Amino acid sequence: MKFVAGRLVQMVLVVLSVTLLAFAALNFLGDPLFNILGPIADEASGPEFDEVRAQARADFNLDEPFLVRYGLWLGDMAQGDFGRSFANGTTVSSEISRQLPVTIQLMIYAQLLSVLISVPWALWSASRANRFVDKASTVVSFGMLGIPVFALAVVVFWLFAVRFDIFPTRFDDETIRTRLVSMFLPAMVLAVPLIATYQRLLRTDLISTLQEDFISVARAKGLPRWRVLVRHALRPSLFSMLTVFGIQTGALIGGSLIVESYFAVPGIGAGVVEAIIRDDFPVVLAVVVVVTVIFVIVNFLVDLLYSFLDPRVQFDG
Amino acid sequence: MADASTIDGSTAFEVIDEPAPPSVARQLGLGFWLSSAFVVLVVALALLAPILPIADPDQTAIGGRLEGPRPGLWFGADSTGRDVLSLTIWGSRISLLVGFIAIVIGFSIGGTVGIAAGYFRGLFDKVVSFIFVTLLSFPALILAILITTLLGRTVLWVSVSLGVLAIAPVGRLARAQTLVFAEREFVTAARILGASDRRILVKELLPNVVIPMSALALLGMGIAIVAEGTLAFLAISVEDGFSWGRQIQDAGSSVRDLEEGPHAALFPIGVLFLTVLSLNYAGDRIRDVFDAKELQL
Repeated sequence: MKFVAGRLVQMVLVVLSVTLLAFAALNFLGDPLFNILGPIADEASGPEFDEVRAQARADFNLDEPFLVRYGLWLGDMAQGDFGRSFANGTTVSSEISRQLPVTIQLMIYAQLLSVLISVPWALWSASRANRFVDKASTVVSFGMLGIPVFALAVVVFWLFAVRFDIFPTRFDDETIRTRLVSMFLPAMVLAVPLIATYQRLLRTDLISTLQEDFISVARAKGLPRWRVLVRHALRPSLFSMLTVFGIQTGALIGGSLIVESYFAVPGIGAGVVEAIIRDDFPVVLAVVVVVTVIFVIVNFLVDLLYSFLDPRVQFDG
Repeated sequence: MADASTIDGSTAFEVIDEPAPPSVARQLGLGFWLSSAFVVLVVALALLAPILPIADPDQTAIGGRLEGPRPGLWFGADSTGRDVLSLTIWGSRISLLVGFIAIVIGFSIGGTVGIAAGYFRGLFDKVVSFIFVTLLSFPALILAILITTLLGRTVLWVSVSLGVLAIAPVGRLARAQTLVFAEREFVTAARILGASDRRILVKELLPNVVIPMSALALLGMGIAIVAEGTLAFLAISVEDGFSWGRQIQDAGSSVRDLEEGPHAALFPIGVLFLTVLSLNYAGDRIRDVFDAKELQL
């Protein structure tokens, strides 16, 4: 319990400092009004722009001292009021609630694919440790780790959507089936580095688990090899993989910016890239905060789950 | 069928009487030297780009539209007939420069702060560790975007934003390494001899921390190059700079261009991939060889 409370306090502190840092960036790096409005802030003149400017000043409480401003903004954020986009007048929360589910689906899809591929692969190579197939698969996974996501996206798109017409070149949202099919390539691109990471970690852990006495006992009982691997060796070997699960969520968030933009998936990643390009800072700020908070919470939950699965973690703090 | 040797194939922990440990150069292996040679080649081409006998990268219609590779136009031409090889060489300049500056920033700040935190401990260490945790709590790309959006998309600020990303991971490693070495006898001995903190830090700790960090520097350089490429690919890197990311985005974004001439995208992708892979592999080898030596102590 003490561990949970400690982690909880740390999580709240991290969320506060992340939001403070992001908000301070908006306020102190350059003119805040310009950051919020973009070029409208000083170039355009006329009564309608004066109104927009007054609105922006009021929305971000620019006449208050910084800490008051931060407090008011944080309060709004906590209530789900992320402000509005001055570029197109929509509220940021409506944009986010439309885009976030798509991104979450994409991430779950990618995680599912990577677990489905990496676990059998790790079992297969660990059971043949240091033989040719294992060495070859180590080389392959090393290569998979090195491929930049954006380069992989182009190669995969060219190969499977252009050269061989297996997947559509456009995102198709009509039915669940077409959605799953057109999300396959983006999800697969996101999954490739994850597959390599999981395979390497799980393989190493499996190899050391397979040296344990209880495995020899299971073998001595005459259990078939696959049964020993899956029923006895797999579960105690999953911890390292679980620890990086949370960290990998951060990589997935970065990756989703790339694949969503490239494959035209209407998620939060593509949305934020568009917002950056049109200098729409309120949207960028809101997405940064939302995404970071989700990331911090996922890592917190993974830590909890980890200490639940392996009680020793509590004593190490 | 299910004999023990199938599981117990690993010989990693067997104690073997070795005559003399092979030289470091030999231990690093052929792959390390090939990777290093490739990185050196890429860096040399980038530095020499202005005096190399290659076409002007901005010159269009050198080849036909998306013309395939041929002698004299080894990487083919892109959709406006520019020389892809020349674009790739010129594009490497920003990619490598940003990667290099980012690593210098990350290591000088992260390394110094990390070593100091590991050595002095106390409140300073607590504050520094918390800052590291906070920095690591941002999804990396998001933090880079936040900084570049606000500060402007110049070579300097893109490098700074990627350098900031490197501070926390580098700082944590430096701190952890310092914690290990600060407890060792030679540090205690130096302290008893009356060495100042500064002397201990610079003469005793720094040399021991620098070697494992150099492995991280190579890995980090690869990561920074990919990160710059990613920003450029998303059109949010250096505003009018041309780097690998931008080149790949230019050539890889239109279905029609990919259909007619995928080489314009695939060549720079290949070079980028080999560069990153070489940096990763060289870094990995240094770490492996160094770790093994640590165990022998």
